Amino acid sequence: MARILDPKDPYYIDNPGRVKSIQAEMQKRNIDVYLGSRVRTMSFILDAFCPWRSYIIIPAEGLPTLFTFVIDAVRIGDETWLDEDHVRAYAPMGGMDQISALSEFIKDDLGVTSGRIGYEDGVSTYTAEGNLTHWEFSHLNDALPGFEWINAHDIIDGLSIIKDRGTIERFRKASLIVDEGHKAARAALENGGFKGMTETVIAGIAALAMRKAGSVSEWNFAGLNEISSGYRTGLGACTPPTNRVIQAGEPLMLDFHSMFQLALGDHSHNYLIGPATDRQRWHADNFVALVSTVLDNYKAGASPSSLAEILLDCAESRGCADFIVPGCEHGIGLFGDEWRIGATADGPIPYWTDPDHVYRENEMVVCAMQYQSPEEGIGFRYENDILILKDGCEFMSKYPLGIEEIK
Amino acid sequence: MSDKHVYLSAAWRDEALRRLQSELPPEKMNNITTSMSNIYKNCPGGADMFLFIECIDGKVTRVETGTTGAPDGEFKITGDYETFARISRAELGSQKALFTGKLKLKGNMAKALKLASLADRINKVLSQIPTEY
Repeated sequence: MARILDPKDPYYIDNPGRVKSIQAEMQKRNIDVYLGSRVRTMSFILDAFCPWRSYIIIPAEGLPTLFTFVIDAVRIGDETWLDEDHVRAYAPMGGMDQISALSEFIKDDLGVTSGRIGYEDGVSTYTAEGNLTHWEFSHLNDALPGFEWINAHDIIDGLSIIKDRGTIERFRKASLIVDEGHKAARAALENGGFKGMTETVIAGIAALAMRKAGSVSEWNFAGLNEISSGYRTGLGACTPPTNRVIQAGEPLMLDFHSMFQLALGDHSHNYLIGPATDRQRWHADNFVALVSTVLDNYKAGASPSSLAEILLDCAESRGCADFIVPGCEHGIGLFGDEWRIGATADGPIPYWTDPDHVYRENEMVVCAMQYQSPEEGIGFRYENDILILKDGCEFMSKYPLGIEEIK
Repeated sequence: MSDKHVYLSAAWRDEALRRLQSELPPEKMNNITTSMSNIYKNCPGGADMFLFIECIDGKVTRVETGTTGAPDGEFKITGDYETFARISRAELGSQKALFTGKLKLKGNMAKALKLASLADRINKVLSQIPTEY
């Protein structure tokens, strides 16, 4: 049975209103049917977790219809706000394969036999982006002769960039859940608890705590909770946990992920497992100062490039510019919406963050900073969901910034 | 006179309705309300035919056959006469016919999945009708 939307729910999202906004944009562009295929599009419209290849068909008027892999259609029908008639499935059956199901629905059920179809294409660093593949496009094009295909993903991207109240509340909750993961991890590490503990185990301890607090997934497909210890902290910004044992005298980076109603908690915290050397402490103090400086400058009107300049200036002044990765953030939205900042795909390098994108109030990003000295076997990472405000920003994880030495 | 009914004839249709009503009580049909229109292509003689079955609150209320004017059903299944005939003779499973593309289904697949076992029950009853193909 479909979920009933309740405007009094603090996490309420006006999904029917979102559909109407999309349809208004479609009308402006003379698009008769929108065929969405990206994970972020499913999350934005359906407000349900769609892990399998899915398609959403949005007509010029009325409700959209989802087509998903048959094994998951009933579960999605139970979780989304759309009724049973608008949650459909494709399957390896005659007439029910993806191409037949979609093309015949457009022609027969919607009665649209010519016109303009908006679809989603592009390139992404994110494997799970979900743009229409060449095979899908070619076969749909053959099955729907007489249609003009218009790449129109920026409709969804533009509408999803400013977060509404319910979405913001969900991110606040997801971030507080991540804090529970960090508390549990901290408790497990202290008093020698780290001895013999592997990266995978500390990831699991945090995962359990976050699940108990209401998270439904460690959502990140780069290893769920990302952990690095010792020399691995200096290997960059993607560290799926390994069976490496955490050691005394080494740095430790914990990057935890929670998901609450499709909102994505993402917070990284760092430790030095004692005894720390003066050089390690110097690196750690540099990193905390850099993060603090950048966070102080997030506000409406700032841009990725202006923040990167502030970061570089601060790093130069501290003599640690050789160790920073010159970027401060990645995009964030409901599940599937990660990485790119802003809504446009026509920046200096297409489909990458536009460095001159100007942040607006109620936009969200993950402040994401990486510091690394691989030769010294040390690195740190900071991530936190932040909400852009008129004169500053809100850090959604409240876990204190700092790099503590665990004795 | 032969004891067999000609497949999709009026006599076969009446027998189908009688058997479905007597052998599939509403509870065995999960008290479901649905309908299905089977379109038979390449029938003997060349014309297309249809078999329409309607179920209201689990009771089979209509079985119709004919060559034109197939009623709209919640589901439409299209295939060759011979494919349907093989299913009715229990020589071919309806699921296999769908999975191999011999039959083409139109309708909400997510709903159809819930009805797969009911369609099997209907097919089993129909396969018991002495039929001349």
